Amino acid sequence: MSDRKLPRLLQSPAVLLLLVWMLIPLGMTLYFSFIRYVLNSLRRPEWTSPSLSNWRGFGNYEFVLNSKDFLFAIQNSLFIVCSILFLTVILGVLIAVLINKSFPGQGIVRVLLISPFFVMPAVNAVLWINMILDPVLGLQGIAVANLNDLAAALRDAPVIGWFFALWPQLEPISFRATQTSAYAVIIMVTWQWTPFAVLIFMTSLQSEDQQQKEAAVLDGASSWSQFRFLTLPHLGRPIAIVVMIQAIFHLSLYAEIEIVSRGNGNKNLPYLIGEFANNNIGAASATGIFAVILANIVAIFLLRMVGKTLME
Amino acid sequence: MGRIVLKSVTKSFGDVEVIPPLDLTIEEGEFAVFVGPSGCGKSTLLRMIAGLEDLSSGSIEIDGQDATQVPPAKRGLAMVFQSYALYPHMSVRKNIGFPLRMAKMAPAKVTARVETAAKSLNLMDYLDRKPADLSGGQRQRVAIGRAIVREPAAFLFDEPLSNLDAALRVGMRLEIGELHERLQTTMIYVTHDQVEAMTMANKIVVLRAGVIEQVGSPLELYHRPRNTFVAGFIGSPKMNLISGTQAQKYDAATIGIRPEHIDVSMTEGSWEGYVGVAEHLGSDTFLHVHGSGVSEMITVRISGDISVNQGDTIYLTPQSDQLHRFDAQGTRIP
Repeated sequence: MSDRKLPRLLQSPAVLLLLVWMLIPLGMTLYFSFIRYVLNSLRRPEWTSPSLSNWRGFGNYEFVLNSKDFLFAIQNSLFIVCSILFLTVILGVLIAVLINKSFPGQGIVRVLLISPFFVMPAVNAVLWINMILDPVLGLQGIAVANLNDLAAALRDAPVIGWFFALWPQLEPISFRATQTSAYAVIIMVTWQWTPFAVLIFMTSLQSEDQQQKEAAVLDGASSWSQFRFLTLPHLGRPIAIVVMIQAIFHLSLYAEIEIVSRGNGNKNLPYLIGEFANNNIGAASATGIFAVILANIVAIFLLRMVGKTLME
Repeated sequence: MGRIVLKSVTKSFGDVEVIPPLDLTIEEGEFAVFVGPSGCGKSTLLRMIAGLEDLSSGSIEIDGQDATQVPPAKRGLAMVFQSYALYPHMSVRKNIGFPLRMAKMAPAKVTARVETAAKSLNLMDYLDRKPADLSGGQRQRVAIGRAIVREPAAFLFDEPLSNLDAALRVGMRLEIGELHERLQTTMIYVTHDQVEAMTMANKIVVLRAGVIEQVGSPLELYHRPRNTFVAGFIGSPKMNLISGTQAQKYDAATIGIRPEHIDVSMTEGSWEGYVGVAEHLGSDTFLHVHGSGVSEMITVRISGDISVNQGDTIYLTPQSDQLHRFDAQGTRIP
């Protein structure tokens, strides 16, 4: 046996397992997306078991494309993912730079900062929507009510009263509503995933060359210039990694959307798949294939964009 | 431009005083080398001049102006680091132009200045490359280029050659020397290598544990070392330092004789010994002589080649006019 054959032979069980693991679900999804396959049909009982005789061609795809929610789900998916990426990267960089300086209590602050990442997504969503964002019982409702009471009390005060008289009555925002449920999801996922960005950026910052910074100080670079010309390019690669990993993860958000509004005004592709999968497996599979294509486009596009602007 | 005066400068890290009060003047246009064993505070001293380290007390004057509280960028000094500290994601052109860009100079002027500097350093062909694509010597030249474009009052070099291989080091030594000839700007150079110090400096500052042991020209240090530390540190191979009865003959606690100032004979001389290791360099031969009863080992440098074998008996005679005498504290007796 030659030198190369043995290592390949030893690798092959793992490679085979991974291939099977990936190809079988993908193959089945593809297969289901081209046939009529529903879980329950009194009128056409033959559709309830998958079979080639139920071949529908691109019919499922056509059905999905023509459904009223599809385009909205794609737009909404992209809107949610891009907003979360934008916020987590900016907050992550700022917080990482801030806590990279040494200060008393550094260890505890770092652990506290990382902790949101260990909360389960469903728990995260329940906590945010019921305890923080709720317009009556949540922190938001309490804060708005108290602000209104305070303004009302100060309205009768001498000298400054006229100023508060100009204040309008503040209205709490209902984050379960059609117009706002996507924002609620963005807020809670950003809160949960910023620590991930902070963690990655912080490790990268610690490997930054201090002599380069000293050279920049001598070259007359301000703190901002040092950040712009040294730190930010140094973070280019970790930013690309954070963007890539999060893009893939957040395209498949489900629990938060389900808990916040059950898809009311806020669907993404996985949620649409879930809705179809209540009965129409064929349409759900076709949507799944669209989701795979979208994920790949987003990943390639983001990677290129981030790479070009920051790694030059 | 470029007269630097240190007045009773001190530096402490916590309770540890690394530099006790120190006074030093570096004249305009001088090539001053700080030399000493590692941990002697020479790099700290340079960083204090650059403004990267704060002074614990004392003051620094640059061109007659108190610069103690002046931020590093405003001191008009340029520094070349041991690790080169080039900006890895910028091309050579952008690296060299960075200080000018930070000074908000017009882009056309920046380009002109960068190209002048690049031409003088033979970097024209590499202007659009990244530091990662350059060799060690080229990176060093880019670092020097970045310092030159600023037209600083003085250059500070922090062991700039220690990451280069031996052949390149000799070449760069010469280039830095020529740069000083051409620019006539004050340069302060830190090294632990006494050969670099001897070949490049107008003024050598020998440091030990933050204390200046001696300041002087290379030959002054070679011919009239102020104490046994300087005597042992300057010169290669090291000076033979002999104490005991032989030293008492000369009314000294310790006498020093350089390896090149000992005459060798196979038949007669003051000290008798046998040859240990002989190092043949072609142009010179270094003999390590044992068993003379004077000192455990005496190093002798002979010009040219000599045919001796290990174990041969040999006679040594120090040239009495080249003898250095030191008292019990190690200080030179005139």
